[in-house]
Amino acid sequence: MRRLLAPSLILAATLAAASAQAATPKDALVMAWNLDALISLDPAQIAEVNGNDIMINVCNRLVQPNIKDVARIEPQLAESWSSSEDGLTLTFKMRKDIKFPSGKPATAQDAAWSLKRALHLNFGNAANLREWGFSAEKADQQIIAVDDHTLQLKLDRPYPTGLLLSSVFSSNVASVLNKETGEKNAKTVDGKNDHGNAWFKTQSDCVGPYRLRTWNANDVVILEANDTYFGKKPGLRRVLIRHIPESAAERLALEKGDVDVARLLNSDDLKGLEANKDVHIEQTLMHGYTYLAFNASDPILSNPKVRLAFRYLIDYEALGKTIMAYRGAPRASLVPIGAFGALDEKAGLPFKLDVEMAKRLLVLAGYPNGFQRKLILSANTPNPDLAQHVQANATRAGLKIELEQMADANLFTKMRGREFEVGLIGWGAGYPDAHSMISRHAINPDNRAEAKLAQYPSWRSAWADDKINKMAEAAMMERDPAKRIAAYKEIQENMLANGPMAYMFQTIRPIAIRKEVKNFAIGPFKVDYASATK
Amino acid sequence: MSATDVNQPRETISRGPEVSKIPPWAWDAWRLVSSVAVTLIGLLALTFFIGRMLPIDPVIAIVGEQADASTYDMVYKQLGLDKPLYVQFWFFISDMMRGEFGNALFTGNKVSADLLRVFPATIELATIAITIGVCLGVPIGVLAAVYRGSPIDHITRILGLLGYSVPTFWLGLMGLVLFYAALGWVGGPGRLDVFYIDIVDRVTGLLLIDSIIAGEWEVLRNAVSHIVLPASILSFNAIAFISRLTRSFMLAQLSQEYILAARVKGLSKWKVIRKHAFRNIAVQLLTIIALAYGILLEGAVVTETVFAWPGFGRYLVSGLLAGDMNAVLACVLIVGIIFVSINLICDLLYRILDPRTK
Repeated sequence: MRRLLAPSLILAATLAAASAQAATPKDALVMAWNLDALISLDPAQIAEVNGNDIMINVCNRLVQPNIKDVARIEPQLAESWSSSEDGLTLTFKMRKDIKFPSGKPATAQDAAWSLKRALHLNFGNAANLREWGFSAEKADQQIIAVDDHTLQLKLDRPYPTGLLLSSVFSSNVASVLNKETGEKNAKTVDGKNDHGNAWFKTQSDCVGPYRLRTWNANDVVILEANDTYFGKKPGLRRVLIRHIPESAAERLALEKGDVDVARLLNSDDLKGLEANKDVHIEQTLMHGYTYLAFNASDPILSNPKVRLAFRYLIDYEALGKTIMAYRGAPRASLVPIGAFGALDEKAGLPFKLDVEMAKRLLVLAGYPNGFQRKLILSANTPNPDLAQHVQANATRAGLKIELEQMADANLFTKMRGREFEVGLIGWGAGYPDAHSMISRHAINPDNRAEAKLAQYPSWRSAWADDKINKMAEAAMMERDPAKRIAAYKEIQENMLANGPMAYMFQTIRPIAIRKEVKNFAIGPFKVDYASATK
Repeated sequence: MSATDVNQPRETISRGPEVSKIPPWAWDAWRLVSSVAVTLIGLLALTFFIGRMLPIDPVIAIVGEQADASTYDMVYKQLGLDKPLYVQFWFFISDMMRGEFGNALFTGNKVSADLLRVFPATIELATIAITIGVCLGVPIGVLAAVYRGSPIDHITRILGLLGYSVPTFWLGLMGLVLFYAALGWVGGPGRLDVFYIDIVDRVTGLLLIDSIIAGEWEVLRNAVSHIVLPASILSFNAIAFISRLTRSFMLAQLSQEYILAARVKGLSKWKVIRKHAFRNIAVQLLTIIALAYGILLEGAVVTETVFAWPGFGRYLVSGLLAGDMNAVLACVLIVGIIFVSINLICDLLYRILDPRTK
């Protein structure tokens, strides 16, 4: 099928260029995307990319990362914040001019209710609050609306303010929803209050540049400008997100001008678009990785030198230009570029393809004659190509790597159950702070098999290091930003040499945009629909 | 067969005098209902147990790959996965008896609501495709049989081969490239252009009909421009299938002596074909058309994907990939019901069309 595809697409491009251009409406942004994964628009529940991308444009949070320089946190619904002397009380001052679409003012009461609601509903996102000592039982003592414009949070430990702002108060759970609407539409499900979850799943009532008008599952999402919004009016009144789950069809619609923006294009189609002057491709470095994970309970793979050898078996540069074009940028350090505390580009990639070096490391590790291990991977592109690359270089270094492809769900189950030797997999960091990756990939609170800490890739790899645990804990509690950065540098350097993962590529998100769309601001944590104009 | 034969219950002796008081139609109805029920329950049981054996974890599909163990366990229990398989199956069947299919995990909606949304889209597409398939497939098949060995026959054969062997994915894309991107004759992916979405109120879920009810002719025109291409692509395969079988049914009839006899009596060639041969293949033809329609109603995943058609096939496959058994079982039940109904309708039509059953 692929062989037929290439010539047909070339023909497509030629014909499409020759045809008359259709046009999208002047006041609307039309986007094509695969909306298959969209399950819920309730900010307390959203756990996938589509919902997140849409609702960040509908529901403002207390604070937000700067769109490009994400390590810098800026006010949003809260105009300022302060931390008490002992670091145990964090106070937000809310803006006075914020209103829900109905015109009703949004207050600290709504903000407190929304945070508590996330804890009570206890979806996956609640873990984001629980991690910082908040709990459903103590929520009323921990989250307090002092008055309409003051929100106070009582902390169990004096965490650095910057870390809390970045991890919790700019995330989905810090979206301010209308308490009145939530309480009015609350239902009892399985004997428990759903705090309006059934309603918020498909509708919106919060403060943001857009409000949700329509969501037809697997068909379309329509947003409309919210006229009561306090901030700058959106450049385009409507946003229409069209479900087109096939890359080639998206490309046709984009080149024809029936959509302004295409979100699901594969590398072939993106390369094909390079020649089209009407379209440009915006590549954003995301805070995620493609990496090899090693199981440290394996007698051979437990040796750090063996794992280090693998880092020299990857041709980062060549892969970045070929298989990983539009998909990932070479990076070996576990903290992504752009995050608070990340090593710079050069220090973050101290390796290059060096088979001789890998061989020497294997000799030092005591395996001059190599060994045989199995690498498991997802059958989705580009994973098989990447794995074959590793396999070929490993062969040159005297190793025999057997590949086993499987469905994603199957791969996740095996990795979460420690049932692997080497795995090729990905990970996305939740927020732009070094702690996001380090708290999962370096820290391992309990390495026993029965602890079942499957949310920690470090645990999945059966790897734990007391020294790293202590260093990471100290860095997490360091209130001096400069010292915190220095601590993260040290951890990263240590992980580069000893860690259980060989990070290869930091994820790239390509978005193809027609030239009629201007000023479209796109960052790793936000695609700002409201910024676009025509 | 005489009238007495029909009224003489053959099983009277074995069933004894009391049972024989049940009128034969009730007995037939009971047999029908019980066989349908057993078929459907068997189908569900098979799907359910195979589904549970697949190495797909529905919990991860819901909570995400990065979730912690407590969240995972909570959802695991919510889904009832901690209960023995037969208990889970019993829950499912008893819910279903109440018309409750549960929630689809991968869309977050009630399965029944999802099906009301996706099924009309597929019905619309399948009905138009089968109409094209019959209107073209049957005449082509008849012509190919009548002019056996002529160029018409060869063209039919090539068409049939293409219909069977050209991948729908490629054909769909090429159709889009030519008729949508280059010529602009038809609409692109989706059921409507974005500006027409949500103009027409949902009554039947069939956009063509809903837009007529609402009197929105612009929307109707747009909907037609969007459905023409995917329906034609889908019908291509149906044309191939129907024309090949029509041809062979027809050839079998044309070689019969009664055809020769009718011609000798002086009837014209086409009259013989229309009045005698075609009438005799009608029953067989009906069976294969019904089957083809059934297959189309199951949804066409590839076509639905290429054309971003929010239909039944894609829904079923997405459910399968997510390990979402609520959705999958409801879909399997529907497919089962479609085929059982098609069988029943065919049976009924046989009695009407086939003179021997009168």
